[in-house]
Amino acid sequence: MEAIPEYNCVLTTCPYCGCGCQYYLQVLDGELIGVTPCKTHPISQGKLCIKGWNSWQYVVDQGRLTKPLIKKDGKFVEASWDEALDLVAKKLKELKEKYGPDALGYLSSAKTTNEENYVMMKFARAVMGTNNVDHCARLCHASTVAGLAATFGSGAMTNSIPEIEYANVILITGSNTIEQHPLMGKRILAAKEKGAKIILVDPRAIQLSNFADMHLRQRPGTDVAWINGMMNVIIGEGLYDKEFVENFTEGFEELKKLVAEYTPEKVEKISGIPKEQLVEAARLYASGDASSIVYSMGITQHTTGTDNVKSCANLAMVTGNMGKPSTGVNPLRGQNNVQGACDLGALPVVYSGYQKVIDEAARKKFEEAWNTPNLPPENGITVVEMMNAAADGKIKGIYIMGENPMLSNPDINHVRKGLENLEFLVVQDIFLTETAELADVVLPGATYAEKDGTFTATDRQVQRVRKAIEPIGESRADWEIITDLANRMGRGDIFPYKSAKDIMDEINRVTPSYAGITYDRLDKLGRLPWPCPAEDHPGTVYLHKDGKFTRGKGLFFAVPFLEPAELPDDDYPLIMTTGRVMFHFHTGTMTRKSRELNREVPTGFVEINPADAEARKISDKDMVKVSTRRGEIEIPAMVTERVPEGIIFIPFHFKECAANVLTNPALDPVAKIPEFKVCAAQVKA
Amino acid sequence: MNDENFEPRILVFCCNWCSYAGADLAGVSRLQMPSNFRIVRVMCSGRVEPEFVMRALRNGFDGVLILACHIGDCHYIAGNHRTAKRIPLLRKLLDHVGIDSKRVMLDYVSAAEGEKFKTVISGFIDDVRQIGPIRTGLKWGA
Amino acid sequence: MADDKRVDELGKAVKEALDKGEADRVVGLKVDSDGSVRPYLWVKGDDVSALVISPKYPLSTVYRLVHEKHPDMKLGIVARGCDERALVELSKRGNIKLDEIVLIGIACNSDEAQECVCHVPYPTKISAGDKVEGVDTDELLEKIKGMSLEERGEFWSYYFGKCMKCYGCRNSCPLCTCKDCKLEQELFVTPGELPPEYPMFHLLRAFHTVGRCIGCGECEAACPMGIPLTKLYKLLRDDVKEMFGYEAGMDPEAEIPLLTDLTVNPIESGEGGA
Ligand code: SF4
Ligand code: SF4
Ligand code: SF4
Repeated sequence: MEAIPEYNCVLTTCPYCGCGCQYYLQVLDGELIGVTPCKTHPISQGKLCIKGWNSWQYVVDQGRLTKPLIKKDGKFVEASWDEALDLVAKKLKELKEKYGPDALGYLSSAKTTNEENYVMMKFARAVMGTNNVDHCARLCHASTVAGLAATFGSGAMTNSIPEIEYANVILITGSNTIEQHPLMGKRILAAKEKGAKIILVDPRAIQLSNFADMHLRQRPGTDVAWINGMMNVIIGEGLYDKEFVENFTEGFEELKKLVAEYTPEKVEKISGIPKEQLVEAARLYASGDASSIVYSMGITQHTTGTDNVKSCANLAMVTGNMGKPSTGVNPLRGQNNVQGACDLGALPVVYSGYQKVIDEAARKKFEEAWNTPNLPPENGITVVEMMNAAADGKIKGIYIMGENPMLSNPDINHVRKGLENLEFLVVQDIFLTETAELADVVLPGATYAEKDGTFTATDRQVQRVRKAIEPIGESRADWEIITDLANRMGRGDIFPYKSAKDIMDEINRVTPSYAGITYDRLDKLGRLPWPCPAEDHPGTVYLHKDGKFTRGKGLFFAVPFLEPAELPDDDYPLIMTTGRVMFHFHTGTMTRKSRELNREVPTGFVEINPADAEARKISDKDMVKVSTRRGEIEIPAMVTERVPEGIIFIPFHFKECAANVLTNPALDPVAKIPEFKVCAAQVKA
Repeated sequence: MNDENFEPRILVFCCNWCSYAGADLAGVSRLQMPSNFRIVRVMCSGRVEPEFVMRALRNGFDGVLILACHIGDCHYIAGNHRTAKRIPLLRKLLDHVGIDSKRVMLDYVSAAEGEKFKTVISGFIDDVRQIGPIRTGLKWGA
Repeated sequence: MADDKRVDELGKAVKEALDKGEADRVVGLKVDSDGSVRPYLWVKGDDVSALVISPKYPLSTVYRLVHEKHPDMKLGIVARGCDERALVELSKRGNIKLDEIVLIGIACNSDEAQECVCHVPYPTKISAGDKVEGVDTDELLEKIKGMSLEERGEFWSYYFGKCMKCYGCRNSCPLCTCKDCKLEQELFVTPGELPPEYPMFHLLRAFHTVGRCIGCGECEAACPMGIPLTKLYKLLRDDVKEMFGYEAGMDPEAEIPLLTDLTVNPIESGEGGA
């Protein structure tokens, strides 16, 4: 019988946002032809957003990297894998010997699988001897990890996506949920149809505003103030959950004392939120049996990001909205696997499962498991610090897997300086990105459709990624590339992996929270939420059950309000904030390859209020110049009421008018996350 | 919101061979007519896709009139047969989503019917004036 | 259980069609170890114990895709009433040939018919299950019909305002096969807007279902925002039936009304065309 037609629907996980929709990749005779939603999947339920529907085109795009490239005399020349990997191995060894292990840095990726993140951080630590490994979670939710770990003991979304549908009050702030987490946005509207009240706190008018019961429009960067203000009302009016506070938390008295200063009048002055609105919102939030906080990068990407996150945690604990279904503090993670990349230790301070590198016992454990004595005992450096160190000549070589700091990092001009200053740069990616163009060696990785593995969704659910087609050209799965490299560097003994499953087996052994998450179980159950400490454990849908916080008691932090690092002045009188649109993802390397997505929004724009536009004689669609202290871009104007007077908004996906030329690299002192959400800017016709 | 002084904005699609000539005749004969309409000449009323009508309403026209040749007189034999089926269906659709279907009207005017052109357009404008201005944007309708 | 019997019967029919060589492949559904259900191309020798019948998927689309690539293949399909009607409309548009299809029919049970508010919950040829009465009463539809013009406007404004422009309604529709979709033409729908430009996006799609929509409900099933799309399309289906006597998918010989002239589908051509 003839072998064709071969029609296959391969169940896999969406490579875009962190909602974790699974769907089928349709393969006909070995060729990827489209996406079909999976009607039995609990998140997707047979539905997808436009990105999910179009998540296959970039896989088969003509521009995919198909061969390793080596730069010779400033030009890329195709090379064999042997040649390329031998060169990388040789250079890494040389640099390590010459400058020491900490002169090298490694960027892992929230787009790649858990297995690949594990292998990358293991390579950096066990083979290269440094903790200088990080990834772009630094730029989106580092403050979540830091803030929630400090308050609750676990730096992740406390509850799960389906639960939100049954909340009575949902407070959404700094999350354009319908556009950025569409299948979560859908549940918020479903909750509303079941009677839930929705409080939206966001400077911009977004699609969600049309459905919110209240829309508070704060001045960007004043989140600590309005949250303190809400607690001022809640505590002042006795609306807080005294029992919960007494039994399950500590530090309340300091908090109470501090928020007493944040009267609605004072908060109005700081944030611009009318005091009546604040009082009403506070009462509404406190009135719910199940009130849920949903936030995203509008909270995290500030120099006070960690403070903002702690404030959200304070608010939830004060009202006892923790450890129960449909409550909690729910950061929505932007990337498909940013949760997993953090879980698997692609961070400079922890191994997989948040086991600290400075903790002697943890280090011993990994030294044994990896058969490597003397793992580095000091914390490594973060993404932004790495770029600075490169510019200062302290970092000599960087290995980047699937990241594009030339668009995603703040102050791109500075990033370029850093990367150009390196002696050796390796970039492993699926396209020749802005960053890859600066590399000495480029290694073609495979996409999610061409390999096996797992992703961890924003609500900690681990799900399978399955190979649907053979890798295009000579591209290879990222884990295979690093495994090969480790072998060439003489560590084949601890990189024996023949499949992604082999890696997961090891992850199970060394990572308590992932111990019970095996491929066999995933193939039976579909998904498992960590913590899942044993093979007979069902996983944990929501954290801190019955007020039993991971760290023991929930810890209140009395957080005073601090202004953003840069405020408008005469030269730069506008506040610039950045974000995303429905139709694109991150630096656009994937979505802009899709005709359907690119057609919707082909390039960037700056949203500017009609009043500000008129004052500058700017009309809709005019090309304008936006400048900050870091640089200047040319970009079409979108004159719209979506932004209030004095504020402009730019989505950061577009390299031809890159918002991150303008953003302020000032860092949160704890989480080292840059302040993407506020800087001072000027717009000129 | 029936404003006394409300003068509707009206778009008229006329086919080249019959109704445009009819409109022309009405003009040449100096018939007394309201002036608040714009004519778009199309080669055949069959060219008027329902999308054009929707687009016109969306862009703020309060009413759209489609004028075709009489059935049997179409220059392209049956172009207006399509119009005769589409437009009534479109009117049903408008009605289903809460847009007064009287805002869209199909009629037949020959090259010789200058007088009829005048009657039809005047009547239509009166009807739309009665309904009032269209709302655009998200709360579109009525 | 009645359903087990139906699945058994169907499994047998599929196996028989493959074993006897009536079909080289059969489009159907398969359940995997984790309980997820996917469209699958059954082939001789497969273990049909993994064959299931729900949740239903737009299988006629899978049929069309495989057929386009392998026009000479003897291709079977497990078809409910709506799947068959979709195939009928596809054949009218030249996508497939009705007489080439090996149709393995399955009758829906009364719960399913109720859920879909399906008028004809069975195909013309039944290999599994028993015919049940069609369903005519639709609460929400009656409610909408009973609304004033204003109320209807409010109703649809609310729902269309939720739309996230995923195009899932179009992508899932077995009859949306146009290569150049008008929803993607800038003249008609401004790109990049959320919700999509109202009411162009939704009216346009609604109008384009005329004469094609067989009421399978896949659009609404794919809609993340729970927009009751099938109700609007049903209203139009009723109009088309009333005006032109045309019911999509029912009679393979009947001509598509909007493409014919008045001699085939005469209507009253009165004032305002109403
Ligand atoms: S909601 Fe997120 S996970 Fe789901 S399809 Fe869209 S981008 Fe993918
Ligand atoms: S019900 Fe929806 S999906 Fe099915 S034919 Fe009609 S428009 Fe298409
Ligand atoms: S499926 Fe629903 S949300 Fe998606 S485009 Fe269609 S109507 Fe809009």
